[in-house]
Amino acid sequence: MKLPTPIPRWRVLFVCVIAFVPASVRADVLTFEKDVRPILKAYCLDCHGSGEKVAGKLDLRLKRFIEQGGSNGPALVVKDPVKSLIIERMKSGEMPPTEKKVPPAQIAIIEQWIANGATINRPEPEKLPPGIDITPEDRAYWFYQPLQRPTVPTTAAHPIDAFIVAKLREKNLDLSAEADKRTLIRRATFDLSGLPPTPEEVAAFVADSSSDAYEKLLDRLLASPRYGERWGRHWLDVAGYADSDGDGTTDTVRPYAWKYRDYVIRAMNSDKPFNQFIIEQLAGDELVPAPWKNLTAEQIDQLAATGFLRMAPDPTTSNGDTAPLANQVVGDTLRIVSTSLLGLSVGCAQCHDHRYDPIPQVDYFRFRAVFEPALDPANWRRSNQRHVSLYTDADRAKSDAINAEVQKLQGEYNIKQSKFMDAALEKELLKHPEHQRVPLREAYKTPADKRNPEQKKLLELHPSVNLNPGVLYQYDAAAADELKRDQASIAAKQALRPIEDFVAVTNETPGSLPKTHLFYRGDYRAPKQVITPGDLTIAAPDGARFEIPEKDPKLATSGRRLAYARHLTSGKHPLVGRVLANRIWLQHFGRGIVDTPGEFGLLGVRPTHPALLDFLAVELAERGWSLKSMHKLIMTSRVYRQSSVMTPNTTDRDNQFYSRFPLRRLEAEAIRDHILSVSGLLDDKAFGPPIPIVEDFVGQVIAQNDSPRRSIYLQVRRTKPVSLLSAFDAAGTAVNCDRRISSTAAPQSLMLMNSDFVLKNAELFAKRLREQKPTLTEQISLAWSIAYQRPISPEESAAVTKFLEKQTAHHADAKTPNPDFHALVNLCQQLMCSNEFLYVD
Amino acid sequence: MNTRREFLTRSGFGVGGIALAHLLQQDGLLAAPSKPGENLPMDLKAKVPHFAPKAKAMISLFMHGGPSHVDLFDPKPELTKHNGQDYGGQVHYSFVNRASKKLFGSPWKFEKRGQCGTEISELLPNIGSIADDICVVRSMHTGHNGHEVSIRYFHGGIAGVTGRPTMGSWIVYGLGSESQNLPAYMVLSDPGGHPVDGTHNWSSGFMPPLYQGTVLRAQEPRILNLDAPLNLRGPIQRENLELLGELNRRHLASHPGEADLETRIASYELASRMQSAAKDALDVSKESDRVHKMYGLDQPETREYGTRCLIARRLIERGVRFVQLFLGGQPWDTHENIRSGLPAICRRTDRPSAALVMDLKQRGLLDTTIVHWGGEIGRLPVSEGELTDKSGRDHNGQGFSIWLAGGGIKGGMTYGTTDEVGHKAEDNVVTPNDFQATLLYLLGIDHQKLVYHSNGREQKIADGRPARVVQEILR
Repeated sequence: MKLPTPIPRWRVLFVCVIAFVPASVRADVLTFEKDVRPILKAYCLDCHGSGEKVAGKLDLRLKRFIEQGGSNGPALVVKDPVKSLIIERMKSGEMPPTEKKVPPAQIAIIEQWIANGATINRPEPEKLPPGIDITPEDRAYWFYQPLQRPTVPTTAAHPIDAFIVAKLREKNLDLSAEADKRTLIRRATFDLSGLPPTPEEVAAFVADSSSDAYEKLLDRLLASPRYGERWGRHWLDVAGYADSDGDGTTDTVRPYAWKYRDYVIRAMNSDKPFNQFIIEQLAGDELVPAPWKNLTAEQIDQLAATGFLRMAPDPTTSNGDTAPLANQVVGDTLRIVSTSLLGLSVGCAQCHDHRYDPIPQVDYFRFRAVFEPALDPANWRRSNQRHVSLYTDADRAKSDAINAEVQKLQGEYNIKQSKFMDAALEKELLKHPEHQRVPLREAYKTPADKRNPEQKKLLELHPSVNLNPGVLYQYDAAAADELKRDQASIAAKQALRPIEDFVAVTNETPGSLPKTHLFYRGDYRAPKQVITPGDLTIAAPDGARFEIPEKDPKLATSGRRLAYARHLTSGKHPLVGRVLANRIWLQHFGRGIVDTPGEFGLLGVRPTHPALLDFLAVELAERGWSLKSMHKLIMTSRVYRQSSVMTPNTTDRDNQFYSRFPLRRLEAEAIRDHILSVSGLLDDKAFGPPIPIVEDFVGQVIAQNDSPRRSIYLQVRRTKPVSLLSAFDAAGTAVNCDRRISSTAAPQSLMLMNSDFVLKNAELFAKRLREQKPTLTEQISLAWSIAYQRPISPEESAAVTKFLEKQTAHHADAKTPNPDFHALVNLCQQLMCSNEFLYVD
Repeated sequence: MNTRREFLTRSGFGVGGIALAHLLQQDGLLAAPSKPGENLPMDLKAKVPHFAPKAKAMISLFMHGGPSHVDLFDPKPELTKHNGQDYGGQVHYSFVNRASKKLFGSPWKFEKRGQCGTEISELLPNIGSIADDICVVRSMHTGHNGHEVSIRYFHGGIAGVTGRPTMGSWIVYGLGSESQNLPAYMVLSDPGGHPVDGTHNWSSGFMPPLYQGTVLRAQEPRILNLDAPLNLRGPIQRENLELLGELNRRHLASHPGEADLETRIASYELASRMQSAAKDALDVSKESDRVHKMYGLDQPETREYGTRCLIARRLIERGVRFVQLFLGGQPWDTHENIRSGLPAICRRTDRPSAALVMDLKQRGLLDTTIVHWGGEIGRLPVSEGELTDKSGRDHNGQGFSIWLAGGGIKGGMTYGTTDEVGHKAEDNVVTPNDFQATLLYLLGIDHQKLVYHSNGREQKIADGRPARVVQEILR
């Protein structure tokens, strides 16, 4: 998939108007607060309530106000929809005057409400402060409820099973039988490492009849360094990881982005508590005291962690620090933070109060104010202006000493060189008549632009006098050689200087504490009142919004991000805990409990198992934010261990209720790594600068020199996604990727059938089989255990034998040398193309 | 559901097609109409339409960014007359900060074209020359100024909402494919990159990926990995695919009913047939010089878009159901410098677009192929910012123009009007839902009856919103 040449984003209107259909038929009594206000909020309150002034003096925020009416008189006549102006205006299409009209079904709700007597839930206040308030109905939405440990149903011993089985029973369904051991080890190994188990690992697990064999398997997988490469990649999706700025077609490489990637992998492998992981990503710079010199490995990690806040594409790199572009980067960064941690489309409130969720516009700017000191468009620093040198004092001293030596050597060299040149010139002049020597010497020594016409002519007539250091060897080979040796020793000396390494850091500009303004209609050119930092109002009980001081007196920095990160990870934050727990579940089962993992608000999908989600969120905090402990909790459940085979005639075809384990296609990286692993080529070297990507002669983007490193180590260029990975739905890098899709399209098939990458690995796989086993039968059976992690069946064996015979004959017909080997290669390739290879059951 | 039946129908156009078709006919399953509460068979076999169709296929030239209708298709003498004066009416801006009330008369002349006399701008001389074949709809209305919001309305049926199948997906779901060798729904991408809203433009949303658009690259090779290496072609590849089919069928037998596995089996079969068919379809060198010239392949400015228009025709000839051309980089989004920006994109697309209609007509394909030309919005009659030589126009979803041709559309007419300055659609307003209902109707589909059940919900393209077949523009 090709990335679009980024277009100026301000041209793509920031409109978040999205159709929203509330339950149209309600059995209970319609009330203003529950049924009518949400419709008015979506369609009318922008003009009739949210601002300081209301259009036509008509305020629609309270039933009382509607009844009172505006310039055109009362808008509501209780029990008489026909006489109610509000209905008339909506029906005639006169109101709202612009954009979309109120759908008939929703007008009908308001009509019905009026006809029934315009019921209100509670007495309305005398006065309202300006703006759209957050009502008890808004607050009643499930996502904003305080996080509490739910009662675990008694339907099963394992708490996760208990929640799932309780729901299954309601639907007259049950869990499927437990999957066999081979399926389990394959499933768990791909899940935790993104790679297949080896035949030996499968054999050992199948043979292990101890009662804790499965737990031991999980422990082994969780302890493997491959784990961080798998689960780190999940987090990189959400962070929008890329090794380039995405500044148009230039797409400047970010030379140190990979340190953030390595930080993430290390954090996963060491099971860094997730709260700490979040704090470091949001505010690692505030944890490391200035000045940043002689940093420890841990401090470098904490600084690298802040790369999270600089993952958004940044067009300012090659397009100038213009305000619209810098503001766009800030907006994208806030989007990454909000979709990854808050699960709300906070960005919709950039221009106006969120039309559906209770996020007033001022909350968006509170959120922005947390980050403004570090991401300040008025004091913008591009990616390459945020590199912090990792030179230690010792490095610098050593480097300075070497520089002095080099300088000395270079001086000696220069003297020697001019001596040699003079000697060569004199020698050459001797070849010329005596009377010419002086003028020739003078002409030569006169700088070229100062020579008079005679001198120029003279030199033209005697070109051999035009010596320069580059041709000295033609005049005095020994001298030239000596200079060359001297040059080499200077270079060798220079090479002794410690290489200056950098880490990309998101930090504040010392001494600067910018004010955050609310932008009228989201336009940075229309700043309004100053807003102070804080959390979303809805994330705390009424009146208890978390406010952040503008400056923490105890810190050199403002301390805003640190305070915010600690607040988010207190274990009580209703949004963060659920969002993270949902992500963990999503990766294990391919589907979140909330299936829109970046949007838990009204525009998202409701949770299928809300109590289970709360349970997991509470567990996460109580287990010391240990991801590995959560994996174990989830993977030891029967829900995880059940078979993926669909029960005939099941009523749960879409597996909405988890009546079977979901069958899933491997993700892009896992497909590539699986192929490399089977061919035996996989290089499991970890960490370090990314493997550059290149285009081959037809324009496929591949790893340089066909590098067999794991896919997570391939460079992520926004404009040049690796062809194989993007064909299989690798994470998009336009901003970040909430959740991968899993598509099936003919180009994927062509990729597996015909690409050089697959053909080459198929050949290596065949070689590997031949090297390891002497007979064809053994080779085939080894192929099955490597590629499918199971023994071959007699039917398959027969079919394959026939296949190999036919292919060998075809290759022989074509006069291909080693026809039987090529037939085996053909077999290996078909295994790599097959569904059993590409899917985990 | 009976899994055997499902398996057979879903993989039914593949290996051993004849035997399978025979089996299916015995079962009475071929193109079985959907029962209430059930989806159509999830395959690409040709389906029986709801009624006799006028069109079999559609080519959509999607003009991302919002072509300026008041400068192209909707002449406004009043606007010209009052150029520079303040507009008295209400304007719906996108960029409020640059809002201006200064009326901005079109800098270009309009001329009556063809026998019908439809007025078309001098910027589009070639489209003007096919005036008698096209119906200009001047009263389009999305009600939303935003690009994505309106694009999603046109593609998916609901303004601003993603996750829904595009019109191409609905058409292919409802009608299947006429081609056994090419994807039924193809997207020709722009060398300037993906259009705004990226892959949502051809997503199958809640439908299986079988119905998503297959994207052709903007450069050669338009399909990567189309060819097997020389030593693997012919019988060797046949044997390979046969073995692969067998492996996959065995695997499916142990996981019956998994739609994704079945779709992937079908995708291999399609891929192998595509190898020769697509090569042939994409090879425009087989066309005569006359055709090359007609599409502007001989001119640097029109070569790229002309080649894609020509490929679109070649795909339709080969039974592809729905082809859509996209533009990257928002060339019609003329916020500023409309005097230079608009002529440039017109020069790039005018000749190829007109050639496509003429060519289809000459080949007798226009009667059964709908051609659509249009963007997601239009532009305001007032200037964006101050009115100067460098002015442009802001977004306008309240009223704008598109044109349609062929496939049962009445040529040589205009339909609907905007107000005197071209801001709002006034008479015979057409929404994207009306547009969808009308095109599906021409293809033989009643949009109300084309239903897809997703997670217990009955889904339709217009999602129950008002959607009218615009009979007045049909032949």
